[in-house]
Amino acid sequence: MNFRDTFKNEVKLIFSDAAIILTIIAGVILYSFLYPQPYANQSVSELSISVVDYDKSDVSRDIVFKLNATPQIQVTQNNMSEQDAKDALIKDEIKAIIIIPKHFKKDLALNKSPTIAVGADSSYFLIYGGVLEAAMKSILTQSATIKVANLLKKQVPLNTAKEAYTPYSLNIINLFNKDNSYTQYVVPAVFILILQQTLLIGLGILGGGINERMRRKEDEYFQTAPFWYMVLSRILIFGSIFFIHILFYFGFSFELFEVTRLANITDLLTFAVAFLLAAISFGIFLGTLFNSREIATPAVLFSSLPLIFSVGFIWPLESIPNSIHYLSLLVPSTPAIHGFLGLNQMGASFDMIIENYTILWVQTLVYLSLSTLIFIKRRRTFYANQQELQKG
Amino acid sequence: MFQALNEAFIYELKSIRRSWYKLILITLLPLLGFTLIISIFKSGVAYEMPIAVVDNDKTELSRMVLNHIQANATMKISYTLNSTKEALNLVKSSKVYAVVVIPRHFSRDTLLQKQPHITAMINTQYILIGKILTSALSSTLMQSSAQIEYVKNLVDLQNPHASINSISPIGIQITPFFNTFKNYFYFLVSALLPAMWQIFIVITTLVSIGVIFKNKHERLCFKNARYVPMKLIGLLLPYTIAFTLIGILHILYMYSMWEFQGSFSVMVFGIFLTVVAYQGIALLFFATGFDYARSLSLGAVYTAPAFAFLGVTFPVYNMNNFALFWRDMLPISHYMQLQISQANYGADIFFDADKLLVLFSFWVVFIPVFMLFYKRLKKEMH
Repeated sequence: MNFRDTFKNEVKLIFSDAAIILTIIAGVILYSFLYPQPYANQSVSELSISVVDYDKSDVSRDIVFKLNATPQIQVTQNNMSEQDAKDALIKDEIKAIIIIPKHFKKDLALNKSPTIAVGADSSYFLIYGGVLEAAMKSILTQSATIKVANLLKKQVPLNTAKEAYTPYSLNIINLFNKDNSYTQYVVPAVFILILQQTLLIGLGILGGGINERMRRKEDEYFQTAPFWYMVLSRILIFGSIFFIHILFYFGFSFELFEVTRLANITDLLTFAVAFLLAAISFGIFLGTLFNSREIATPAVLFSSLPLIFSVGFIWPLESIPNSIHYLSLLVPSTPAIHGFLGLNQMGASFDMIIENYTILWVQTLVYLSLSTLIFIKRRRTFYANQQELQKG
Repeated sequence: MFQALNEAFIYELKSIRRSWYKLILITLLPLLGFTLIISIFKSGVAYEMPIAVVDNDKTELSRMVLNHIQANATMKISYTLNSTKEALNLVKSSKVYAVVVIPRHFSRDTLLQKQPHITAMINTQYILIGKILTSALSSTLMQSSAQIEYVKNLVDLQNPHASINSISPIGIQITPFFNTFKNYFYFLVSALLPAMWQIFIVITTLVSIGVIFKNKHERLCFKNARYVPMKLIGLLLPYTIAFTLIGILHILYMYSMWEFQGSFSVMVFGIFLTVVAYQGIALLFFATGFDYARSLSLGAVYTAPAFAFLGVTFPVYNMNNFALFWRDMLPISHYMQLQISQANYGADIFFDADKLLVLFSFWVVFIPVFMLFYKRLKKEMH
């Protein structure tokens, strides 16, 4: 069988399979809209909190004002009793309680360092972090104002006092994703995983289906076609479909969801080609292992959550067990996510992500060689009796 | 009628015994998935995250600041460099998560009370890692700066207590409610395991029903189109039991480490309602075309993104209307609210009755499911 016929047969098999088409075309497009939805508003803001003010002085009111001025929180209640505030917290009406003690202003004047209590719901960590960040910022600003005022009382000139209230300070610069946008954080990484997983499911259903039919000894093109013709056909078919998907994801979707694009197009596409080849090879490899059409979807689906969390962009690699990290390097999405995030989100040059690029090529070579060995061996076993019959 | 249920139940039990695939779907695979997630977050806290430092001052004071940073377990100084540009390249190539730059004349300016700024450039592309480093660096720098201030105040005030109070005129006491450990393991794992659990319920239901139709065993299993609902319930029952047990196991595991405030029986009831709700939804996916592979694709689209909609990482308060709508369509988000409310807040059953009721309302999918299966089987048996 020549390449043209193999290619035609593969095209026919793929495009007549509703499960494959549903996944690699409809699924990919649907996911691109569905996944970013929870984060459409990008960052955490205006969380309702309650201030229980026992002091009711101009200083405590000033603190409430400062709290309200932060983007993260909004003081919705400041006349509640402590008990009412706690009830409101359990009913989920507010996310935090800030208590300013009695005699707060007086104790400040006496240099007795009165304490403000901040209690926040830590069931949700972004909420907890947001409340804490805002509360700390407001209270520290208030502290600094007081320290400057104390220096002024000691006849220190204002210009000096503005600097002298603390020996040195920390200036924090957010390098990338400056506004802590959740879309910027999750979408670029998860999109790579979606592309890979849909690709793997498509190739897995195809490969598993062919194995099923070979077991039934069906007299079809896959009985005689050279495996490399099949591999090449799949690289061409899946490669071109997913190349368009990549343009759609990195172009249209990123634009739509306002995701940063720092990479230059040549670097991005060079890396994308390596990623697609590695993912297609891995998919062909899985396809040769699956015994039926229906193994691919569950297998790929079960792996999604462990895969995305072992990449190291959510939880640091240094805290993930090495064995899991190395295991995850067998899958193209791990080096691919690191590479794409580097190029597109952090503006790395190509030589800074060359390691990931190399891993993708190694994966391609290894998985294609393994697939060839396994497929040829399995095909021989499946059709063994038949050949003997033909010979006999 | 109940005999039909019983027959189908026995039929499916036997088929599980024969099929290693079905067997590992309800035992080994969920446990393996859970173990992987648990191992990833096992450490609970982030430690020794690599950072780079650029010391442009190289004095005793700058070295003291660096020693303070080095002493913090959250981070580790992996590179000491002379150029900021070089250090930034290390961030871009993901070798370090942050760069700390101590300015020239840092020591001199401190003595002159000119408040020099130490700069920390943090890779906030990784939000969680960025937040952990930001707070670790802020608190370290605040401590080291307070030490110097204390010595200075002591000279001025001659009173240790007053010296401390002058450093921070307002004290801050922080109390985390409900999850007093402030542990990321708890935050993430307590939501990730339910997110995996719902994937397993839907997929296993589709496998169990899909295999029957794929192998054309409808006649063997359903015999005739009578008592279809009872037979379907019988078929689902082994998995209802298995996944309710797995759900309970998850609760027992998580709350062997953390205190469970609420009622265990309410939780078990919620788990049961959730399992059946998902089984019904899975059957509905299957009944849309009675095509095994295609229904798996539908199940994948429905269950895979669920974690993002739970609101555990990104808060529900900041979600748009479509996200809120989709979230409401997923039983697991209602289950998650129940779990948080029971485990963390210790709410009573009346408080959580609405959540249980919503979970129960998903059972309504069984009406179209029974109708579609009945229609299909009746057609096939003739």
